[in-house]
Amino acid sequence: MKFNRVELDKNSLVFGFSRHPLIYGNGLEIGKGRVVPEVKYFPRVGKDSKEEFKAITEQVLKRATSLGVDRLQLETELTYVEMQQSTLPGEITRLQKNLIDAYSKEYGMQLALRVTVPDIRDFGKPKNDEGGFNRMMDAFEQVASNGADVLSIESEGGKELFNYAVIRQDLLGIVAALGYLATYDMKKLWREIVKIARNKNVIAGGDSACAFGNTSMRLAGGLRDNVIPHSLAAIVRAMSACRSLVAYEEGAVGPGKDCAYENVIIKAITGYPMSLEGKTAACAHSSLVGNIVGGVCDLWSNEQVENIRLFGGYGPEVFLEILHYDTKIMNTAIKIGMQQELKTILVESDKYVDPQAFVLSPEIACEIGGAIVGGGDELSRTISSGIKASILIMGEQRLKLGKSEKRYLETAKDKLDDIYRDPLKKVEQTLPSYQQKVGKLKVKDYLET
Amino acid sequence: MNKDEILEAIRDNIVNLDFDKSKENTLKAMEMGVDPQEVILKSIAQGMEIVGKKFEASEYFLSELIVAGEIGKEVTKLLEPKLKGVKIKKIGKVVIGTVRGDLHDIGKNIVSMMLEASEFNVIDLGADVSPEAFVDAVKKDKPNIVAMSALLTVTMVEMESVVDELKKAGLRKKVKVIIGGAAVTEEFAKSIGADSYGSNAVEGVRLCKQWVK
Repeated sequence: MKFNRVELDKNSLVFGFSRHPLIYGNGLEIGKGRVVPEVKYFPRVGKDSKEEFKAITEQVLKRATSLGVDRLQLETELTYVEMQQSTLPGEITRLQKNLIDAYSKEYGMQLALRVTVPDIRDFGKPKNDEGGFNRMMDAFEQVASNGADVLSIESEGGKELFNYAVIRQDLLGIVAALGYLATYDMKKLWREIVKIARNKNVIAGGDSACAFGNTSMRLAGGLRDNVIPHSLAAIVRAMSACRSLVAYEEGAVGPGKDCAYENVIIKAITGYPMSLEGKTAACAHSSLVGNIVGGVCDLWSNEQVENIRLFGGYGPEVFLEILHYDTKIMNTAIKIGMQQELKTILVESDKYVDPQAFVLSPEIACEIGGAIVGGGDELSRTISSGIKASILIMGEQRLKLGKSEKRYLETAKDKLDDIYRDPLKKVEQTLPSYQQKVGKLKVKDYLET
Repeated sequence: MNKDEILEAIRDNIVNLDFDKSKENTLKAMEMGVDPQEVILKSIAQGMEIVGKKFEASEYFLSELIVAGEIGKEVTKLLEPKLKGVKIKKIGKVVIGTVRGDLHDIGKNIVSMMLEASEFNVIDLGADVSPEAFVDAVKKDKPNIVAMSALLTVTMVEMESVVDELKKAGLRKKVKVIIGGAAVTEEFAKSIGADSYGSNAVEGVRLCKQWVK
């Protein structure tokens, strides 16, 4: 299903409420008037994965009962380590699900488990690594059969070209990666994931453009860093929404993954509930968008924390507690009818600090969403969203951009306008030359879906 | 344009990051019979110096420094047939890669490109590189430095395997080992027996330069 309109406006795009709420797991409701914590974790280096995930699940659930957390989602992001052993993804999921069920039964908690399968494909291998693709699908089958309630991935199709292009500020390469190669790959991938989810009666959650948007965010860095322009990172964020939207057009229903900051735009378009992360993800990475995305989340996450011992307990249980108190503030605001006021505080505290925050404010996200749905095919949508983001950033005096950012923005806008004049021709004509420069890029393999 | 004007034009093309014009004017300079060594000294080197200063003054982004370096490299390639055996001096050789199990290569690529722009000969092994492949490259290419990157905590342990394999092959003392990436720290570098840790690309390249002085 192609999304042709923006479902939510700047007011209805608010935390805790979606147009299409979900209920799954042990009766967990998402997007229906409550924000739910989604805690994420990873095992300590060198420890047995299974033992670690078991210990983490137990400590998180124990802390949840101790704090009175009545609704909670756990997310397990598998890594290449777990993918080395063929049955391990299913075994870890089963082990966690048994604990979740036991706690739910004993304490009446509404719980759910999201499992994210890693994209292990080596795109330099024939057919974009068909073997890797099949192993990923097998892992999805396993986790869906063993208790995962939500399936997700941070897929990386197009990343080999994107990596080459982004450090050169090469917008044509970025557009070709996000709007062309990545969307071909997303269609293929999500058709299969949705099929598995439907067969197993679980939720096809969504994808994250982490490999694109968060790579750019990381390169842009803090206010004093200057690897790439912060405006470029903001433009990439806007453009990555078109790529991640493909998952929902193929049948995913949310909640989208936390690290997909583009979820703000996607929630505006689809009305589906979304997970997001902000200040609570400082354990995994720094950002300039710590509060703003909290204004529209349905699940509130911490990205990833290692299972290390802190003074207040182990990392995952400590971050669960932080998430719990954050969501309590949001849910209390809803209860007393102050959600718009709290949203305003969260949004305004970040909005003008950096272009990356600006494009994720509800008002601007709705405008970018409008440019996406009005933009024709995926490639045109990608460019339209980038143009829209650059125009809006340029027009906002409160952003106080430096000279180099302003210089970059003008160049970027001109370049995107130029690509937009005949996008498919420009991309298809240029891809062979990228193939010579980017060793692993095999354009033909993307197109054979 | 006379000789001085074309040399200035190439320099400015590099500063303006205009690859097409840099190429066009370099070919023009060659047709005019300009000494290629003058192009290297007065256009490329001076252009790079200006770009470097603009970067230090925060007028340019690091990515623009990288692009300027690549343009300089491409322009130099155009001059090679006319250099008549004059070898462009490299200051050292680096074998670089992201360790086994880790497909994150963007940080490694930045370091690799900055090393090249700093006149290092770089052998880039790519991502997901096994310890054996690092050892083979050291045997074959005899670098001064081995540089490794890892983004994930689950893969950083592979760095120690590389150091161990270098020891087993009797090569450890022949190379300096530097590590970098989001997962690693100076403490970790010490614990696995690496020589140093670069917290970012600029620092990593600075350390490599110090080693080959």
